[in-house]
Amino acid sequence: MTVLSLFSFPFVALILSLWSSSAFASSDYHEHLLLHPLPQSSLLASFNFRSNTSQQSFDQQHFRYLPRALGQILQHAHTKELHLRFTTGRWDAESWGPRPWNGSKEGGTGVELWAWIDAPGNEEAFAKWITLTQSLSGLFCASLNFVDSTRTTRPVVSFEPAGDHSAADQLHLLHGTLPGEVVCTENLTPFLKLLPCKGKAGISSLFDGHKLFDAAWQSMSVDIQPVCSADGECVVQIEQTVDMVLDIDRSKRSRSNPIPRPVPNEQLVCDTSKTYNSDDTCYPLEKTNDKAWSLTEIFGRSLSGVCPLTDFDGSSDQSVCLRVPHERGVFISEEAEEIKKEDGFTRCFKLAPSVPFDLSIPQQPVNTEVPLDEPVLHAERTIVGHGQERGGMRIIFGNPSNTSAVDFIYFESLPWFLRPYIHTLHATITGHDGVLREVPASEIVKETYYRPAIDRERGTQLELALSVPAASTVTLTYDFEKAILRYTEYPPDANRGFNVAPAVIRIVDTAHDAPIYIRSTSLLLQLPTPDFSMPYNVIILTSTVIALAFGTIFNILVRRIVTLDEAAALGAQTLKGRILGKFVAIRDRLRGKDTKVE
Amino acid sequence: MALLFRFLQAFAVLLLVSAVAAEHTSNWAVLVSTSRFWFNYRHLANVLSLYRTVKRLGIPDSQIILMLPDDMACNPRNAFPGTVYSNADRAVDLYGDNIEVDYRGYEVTVENFIRLLTDRLDEDVPRSKRLGSDAGSNVLVYMTGHGGDQFLKFQDAEEIGAWDLADAFGQMWEKKRYHELLFMIDTCQANTMYTHFYSPNIVATGSSEIDQSSYSHHADNDVGVAVIDRWTYYVLEFLETQVTSVTSKLNLGDLFDSYDESKIHSQPGVRWDLFPGGEQEGRLRTVVDFFGNVQNVEVENANATEPGSLKEDLAEIARLVEKWQKRDEEYSAILGNSTGNVTQDLPSSSLHLKLKSTVGTTKMAEDTSWGKRLVGISVVGACTAIWVAGSILGRSSV
Repeated sequence: MTVLSLFSFPFVALILSLWSSSAFASSDYHEHLLLHPLPQSSLLASFNFRSNTSQQSFDQQHFRYLPRALGQILQHAHTKELHLRFTTGRWDAESWGPRPWNGSKEGGTGVELWAWIDAPGNEEAFAKWITLTQSLSGLFCASLNFVDSTRTTRPVVSFEPAGDHSAADQLHLLHGTLPGEVVCTENLTPFLKLLPCKGKAGISSLFDGHKLFDAAWQSMSVDIQPVCSADGECVVQIEQTVDMVLDIDRSKRSRSNPIPRPVPNEQLVCDTSKTYNSDDTCYPLEKTNDKAWSLTEIFGRSLSGVCPLTDFDGSSDQSVCLRVPHERGVFISEEAEEIKKEDGFTRCFKLAPSVPFDLSIPQQPVNTEVPLDEPVLHAERTIVGHGQERGGMRIIFGNPSNTSAVDFIYFESLPWFLRPYIHTLHATITGHDGVLREVPASEIVKETYYRPAIDRERGTQLELALSVPAASTVTLTYDFEKAILRYTEYPPDANRGFNVAPAVIRIVDTAHDAPIYIRSTSLLLQLPTPDFSMPYNVIILTSTVIALAFGTIFNILVRRIVTLDEAAALGAQTLKGRILGKFVAIRDRLRGKDTKVE
Repeated sequence: MALLFRFLQAFAVLLLVSAVAAEHTSNWAVLVSTSRFWFNYRHLANVLSLYRTVKRLGIPDSQIILMLPDDMACNPRNAFPGTVYSNADRAVDLYGDNIEVDYRGYEVTVENFIRLLTDRLDEDVPRSKRLGSDAGSNVLVYMTGHGGDQFLKFQDAEEIGAWDLADAFGQMWEKKRYHELLFMIDTCQANTMYTHFYSPNIVATGSSEIDQSSYSHHADNDVGVAVIDRWTYYVLEFLETQVTSVTSKLNLGDLFDSYDESKIHSQPGVRWDLFPGGEQEGRLRTVVDFFGNVQNVEVENANATEPGSLKEDLAEIARLVEKWQKRDEEYSAILGNSTGNVTQDLPSSSLHLKLKSTVGTTKMAEDTSWGKRLVGISVVGACTAIWVAGSILGRSSV
């Protein structure tokens, strides 16, 4: 337990402490940006926008900070709590450490949506869910309308409502993912329009689609939930976050010339600790963390002041924070004010209203580094096997802790055309000694929640409660069969493969109030794909066969096969035959041939 | 007959007050690219160029239906993330910072396109995915992709035929979903696509004759593929250099006269015959009648009784409602007489449906209880007993 509590994510703790004072104002708006340089010359920029509207004004459709477009959709679809995620890229946990917000603000690759809907029964809830997805697809320019019954699941233990709901509501949790959905500028445009300052002022003015969608990893989220204070006063809270990991070198390239050119020889920084045989060789130095950068260089624009709608109370006016060691020099715009925090790594900036703000860090060798925690769990999921008929799924969980086991829920939703054989679920454990042991799955899997698939109606839903012992790696495998689709069910790019939604891992941690979420990468499943010219080939081939068969049979039916003598005799008998014979004889004579018929 | 009479009457009114007839109250644009895959970059660039033009001339996003079948801007192959360029000089980023794509990816299908035009959509489909045009709307329909003689491929998987398109426009006219319509198409053998149109007030133009290819204009070496098609390039050149503001007085005649076959490398075509007054009248329509936005308000006399007026429409709707109600009553009467148990059957089927769908996720448990084993053993034992008894009795009888 002690080890687990060490993993508390410093960002979250910091932000929560900054804001705890103002969490229950009836109607307010806050925004916050945290910049955190990560190893390998990356920069994590974590934007957060949060506003509250009192439940009463929400019910009366008196919208101020909560966007009307979204509020009306929620009311129309009886949605009490909504979580929407747009994610691209992969969080490199091995270099970058634990995920921002403990993974609670990110989704699987593509688009992920889950909501608690108030409805008397399952069917009504599903009808509302369809209304919700259709409406959101229009609002966010995403194909959320493709979340149909085959892509909808109802997780039992993986998600829990984050808001405070009244006991009278009959809440239904529905979850849908679109792992193949592209996230691009058309999704950012409506996202920005939901913000009170619309990306014109405040930290949201830094958003640029060209940089955001060039990031190594980015996640946009919208969360709406009711939050009640102890005295029973409720507010509807909307929280929008954008987290992105930018490569500093890549972002600094000019937009008109983004293609990297080779560095000229003179500018190469070589590793002098290595031995060289000749002068024309060079081992380039690894990327270091002390790169110089500034906001304008990275984001392509400067931060234009403060959003005037922000409520200032306590320390929440320090809307931009930076996590670098205090020994590092940071230059900021003149009007802004720097406040260093006691932890030795965080400094926040108080921005002057309506004055552009820029922040620049010069290149400087530093001795201290911002400590990065180890993630609680490593997870990896791949499709194994070969051939068009069968395959297997392999999930590897690594527990880096030496002292305590990790308990978590593993949730995956599989498309119906991937048919898992749950009885083939096997587990192996590799301990710290490196010895591989086969164990019965029941030793690792504590609980199983399973909903089998129905072809073309719904997908498989599998939730496993697992426990990985300290300092060991657990590998789960199971086999599956690939279904053959109907000709019309194949998408236009069937040969690319079919997307399988990422698995969601919820780490139940008693030391934290909020669980930690990890999502695996999405998978590509190769299905047996026909040659799409097949119907035409079949039509041509069958037509040929029919023509041949018909021709032969027709010939046999209508023709009489006789010997040559019989033919002559037959021909001689009728008048027509005689005339014809004469005619042939004359023609042959004219051509100088001998008569063949005797 | 009555319909024909009404059309004639409408035409007479149109001809009499041509100045009034030219007025439309809103503008809509349907911009469709139909090609998937990276090497068809230019088709998306074509459509996005048109999108920027109509937006520049004032049509808001809410009145533009943009269909993009693939993602080029955030494609991993794109060296310029978040951008689409239609020119190798890369002066204008067509994707920009503010774009709303209404149908994208797999949503761009023939079915969705025809449903959009004819408004045969589910009630849940949001506003932004509907063509909300009415009898006072000028509609611009621009399509680009790979096509052939009387067909246009969608996503390399299905085709829309010239008749499908003609019928969709025919239905739009019947449903009073446009006032005037400009149809533009840039594809191989494009002019064959509008040959079957039959509904009035349509001006159609295409990039190439039958048996002619439409060619791309030029490629960008850093993007790696062709960035725009020839016909669209020269149409855009006209729109960007000549039609500089909403107040432009240039008309469709000027636009079509600007076609230069030596530059386009194919023979563009124009079809005027569906337009009232033919070429003469059609040429006078300004370009911004279709590419720009107006916000005219049609003030209608509440007591007007001429064809197409509100009062007449309401009366017609009331008549229809009455007619259908009567028919419905008759139908239910017939049903009630012939089979009395039809209505009783219905609830049982819905009950069956409910039972089927309530099967949800269940917790799987290892069953170690002796009870079930006991039941199994007793069943097997009983069966054995019956078999033994049967064989003994059978032998004794013989």
